[in-house]
Amino acid sequence: MIGDRFGVVHQMTLDVVSPLQKAVTKAFGGFSDFSRDYIDLWSVRAENKRLRLLVDKYMNELGEYREAYRTYLHLQNLLEFKEKQEFNLLSARVIGKDPAYWFQTILVDRGKADDIEPGMVVLTPQGVVGQVIHVSEHYAKVLLANAPSSAIDAMVQKRRARGILKGAGEKGFVLNYVLKKTDVAEGDHIVTAGIGGVFAAGIPLGTVSAVREKERGMFLEIEVQPAVDFQKLEYVFIDPTDRQKILREMNLTVE
Amino acid sequence: MLTLCFFLLGVLLIVLETTLLHSFPSWLGRPDFIYILVAYTSYRFAWIPGLLLVFSLGWIMDVLSGIDLGIYPLEVLLVFISLKAMTTNNPLRESTYQIPLVGLSYFIVQLVRYILYLFTEPELLPEWSWGKLFAETGILLVATIPCFILLNALGEFLQKRKPQPRPLKRRT
Repeated sequence: MIGDRFGVVHQMTLDVVSPLQKAVTKAFGGFSDFSRDYIDLWSVRAENKRLRLLVDKYMNELGEYREAYRTYLHLQNLLEFKEKQEFNLLSARVIGKDPAYWFQTILVDRGKADDIEPGMVVLTPQGVVGQVIHVSEHYAKVLLANAPSSAIDAMVQKRRARGILKGAGEKGFVLNYVLKKTDVAEGDHIVTAGIGGVFAAGIPLGTVSAVREKERGMFLEIEVQPAVDFQKLEYVFIDPTDRQKILREMNLTVE
Repeated sequence: MLTLCFFLLGVLLIVLETTLLHSFPSWLGRPDFIYILVAYTSYRFAWIPGLLLVFSLGWIMDVLSGIDLGIYPLEVLLVFISLKAMTTNNPLRESTYQIPLVGLSYFIVQLVRYILYLFTEPELLPEWSWGKLFAETGILLVATIPCFILLNALGEFLQKRKPQPRPLKRRT
């Protein structure tokens, strides 16, 4: 019995017992795998939750960075515009808007303390916003260029044809008094004509969106899409040149 | 106290209307909350405090957004006086008619304003749109219902908090 001979009985015993061992080991291994997987699943779930929170946080941060980047681009654009101007423009923040559907005025945070006077021109890099109408010590009210009461001497930039640009509320502008014989097409740029002394010449106002020729009358009916998006005004620039005063001193009238 | 609280509420509404309301999408509608408050004032307030409240709110609105100064206070005063006169000692005073009356008066005010401008300063007028006027009136009517409920609740709350006069002690 003692020796290194692994006889038939040994082999038979091994063959009988080993399958049991195998079965138990397999079963235990399966259970162990299952329990490990189960425990791992818990930790994966926890990890997943943590990662989801992290993703949410990063997405929020990404949104903030995107907004900050857009603000940066917008401000850079404004700064470039300001630096290009001959006169020192005064930047102002839009703090309030006319609540009416035909919204015609905005309020800005600059006033008499910043030498703002009624009649001063308000601009953005895109073009004319309007004119200051009422001023208090620290705030000013601006009549938007697309208000129906607004009228600006304008011209079709390419053809040099002049007319009066009237505000038409949500529709933008209508360019009046342009003769039928004038060649005006959709997409033509409209700029200030510089007549009347209120606006300097060449400031963008918009682009022609429709041209109609009426049977009667000698003028064209021209619709103009404003260059400025009046609904999205956040910052504007006020031209501190008191043109009205200059004109008064020169004994010239202002329209 | 009641008038002062409603004045402060009106100021808050004006500030919200001129700032936050513009950032909401236009399909949500932008009801004229000040008009609703003016109508509510005409139904619930006595003549003198009502006139004071309505005038001061109209004046603030005028300062913040008016082009021709004075139009807005005049308009709200006329609305207040008309609604007040119509509902005093009249079956229209009943709450069933109050909300439709707000819509109807708003519609008429817009129409009258347009006609007045048409004869006085036609160059100030934007293009007329019946659809827009009906939509505005509808939005105002829808907004009036919850607003009146809230304003009523606030009014009752403030009335309850009003300090009651102490009864005189009898001398023994």
